[in-house]
Amino acid sequence: MGPATAGPTEDTAGRAPAPRPATASARRNRRGSRAERLAPLVLLAPAILIIAGLRLWPLLLGINFSFTGDGARNGMNVGLDNYLTLLHDPLFRTALRNVGLLVLLLPVAVAIPGLLATFIFLKVPGHRLYRGVYFFPAVLSPVIVGAIFNLLLAFDGPLNALLGGLGIGPVDWLGNPDVAIFAVVGVHIWATFGMALVVFLAGFATLDSSVLDAAKVDGASLPQTIWHVIIPSLSRTIQFVFVTTMIGMLTSMFGLLYVMTGGGPAGSTYLPEYYVWIQQGQMNQPALASAASTALFLIMLVVGLGQIGILRRAGKED
Amino acid sequence: MSGTRLTRWVAAIPMAALALATIYPLVFTTNVAMKTRREYVLDRFSLTDSLRWDNIVKAWTSVGMSRYFLNSVVVVACSVALLLLLGSMAGFALARLRFRGSSLLFLGILAALFIPFQVIMVPLARIMADTGLIDTYPGLILAYVAQFLPFTIFLLTSYYSTVPPDIIDAARIDGNSVYGVYWRIMLPIGAPALLSVGVLNALFCWNDVLISLLLMPSAEHRTLMVGVTSLRGQYSDDIPTFASGVLIAAVPVLVAYLFLQRQIADGVTAGSTKG
Repeated sequence: MGPATAGPTEDTAGRAPAPRPATASARRNRRGSRAERLAPLVLLAPAILIIAGLRLWPLLLGINFSFTGDGARNGMNVGLDNYLTLLHDPLFRTALRNVGLLVLLLPVAVAIPGLLATFIFLKVPGHRLYRGVYFFPAVLSPVIVGAIFNLLLAFDGPLNALLGGLGIGPVDWLGNPDVAIFAVVGVHIWATFGMALVVFLAGFATLDSSVLDAAKVDGASLPQTIWHVIIPSLSRTIQFVFVTTMIGMLTSMFGLLYVMTGGGPAGSTYLPEYYVWIQQGQMNQPALASAASTALFLIMLVVGLGQIGILRRAGKED
Repeated sequence: MSGTRLTRWVAAIPMAALALATIYPLVFTTNVAMKTRREYVLDRFSLTDSLRWDNIVKAWTSVGMSRYFLNSVVVVACSVALLLLLGSMAGFALARLRFRGSSLLFLGILAALFIPFQVIMVPLARIMADTGLIDTYPGLILAYVAQFLPFTIFLLTSYYSTVPPDIIDAARIDGNSVYGVYWRIMLPIGAPALLSVGVLNALFCWNDVLISLLLMPSAEHRTLMVGVTSLRGQYSDDIPTFASGVLIAAVPVLVAYLFLQRQIADGVTAGSTKG
């Protein structure tokens, strides 16, 4: 490692570098002790070791592992066998089909908090209260949310009682293979829309109010204002919410599935993350689980690279 | 703008309904936790006339929630303390010390942010088993630190980037070493960000089930959330006790939310606005 002052460095957050004159600190650094020069290394070493050892290394290990066999073929190179097994496994195919369903439901999961944030921003009666109330379920564990909805969605539970009062149902929310995945995704959206709402509100806070006033003066209707003023000005926020919501759907529904359906009924609520867990924890097929992990990672990579792009662009705009 | 005002009032009705739908599940659960089994079977919706703590006490003592609770408190406290220490050290170095490769390193940490736990869980479980860390407090704490450190570093780096360099220079002129600047200047200045990131990390760790389920298999080491999942099978015919267990696990989060809502929201939105 060279002297601490060597070379120009850009601001780490990717923003325009703040004006930093060659100051006393820089001069001191140059003739500083060895301990001083090694300071960045000392401060960063524990974090780098942990991240490299327990996040990056396992990732490589897992990808490598996915090309080996389970059971009798433990440790042997089996090429793409695990991936072929995945493609022929009805449970994994259901998991992939459910990912497709999540992608289709994604616009709904983004539009709901977006619309609610718009109304809160436009100061509907009670707007001060709503933010705090809506955000609340987002801090609860999926386990708690799932446990509560086990009670609410029971066949003889409150929701069916309410619907019965309206002359509908009863619906077997968690017992019908055609309904259960929608019930679980619905609960996930209920539990997390507050997260996206808060992000949208932070975006609204950066909105130029004079543009909105101009739209008002021009007599624009509410849908026109949303479509022509709000959506274009918040495009960055909307992209961010899209990506984070998708990542949330792919990686934070395990608790709900584990508590609410256990993947059932008839395997209809499997998602890739649940499949990985079952193969690793229950079926003792770690190599197959690794292949499923790698498949999930490929799905995530597409989403994640998009997110890095957005974050970096966001940094440049500041 | 009477039209807009009308729209606002029309929108207010479904929004109020949604607010009720957001609150009701927890109210229902609290109400059930106060009932006897008989009351629950006869009428699950009526409000209990008396506050009965029997179920809560039962869940806390004989069901074993107190043990799970203690496990969670220990693991979460140690994880958050380590995350804040290592995260602020790294954040300060990345934001305010100049060294070769700092932006590359930052990008590497940003990349680690996008490795979901599900993708590394199989090899991680093997590493933990090989090193004898599986089913131990240090193993789970280390796993939590590894999981949430990239996010912590990311937020603290962007926070420390906003600290004027003059402050650091002044402290250096006063004779502080780099470590002195970190300990005496950066830690106190970072307090608001540390609080926000700390609360958020505490929530993540407290709410986690997958990591804990994977790395803490034995019953005596269960964290609270895994404890709640185990209640479900055991007490499927005793719903009030089950609801009490859920309530015990939810109350600390509820309290944290009432007092620290702004910090939690700040942490969630930081990634979207700061970049």
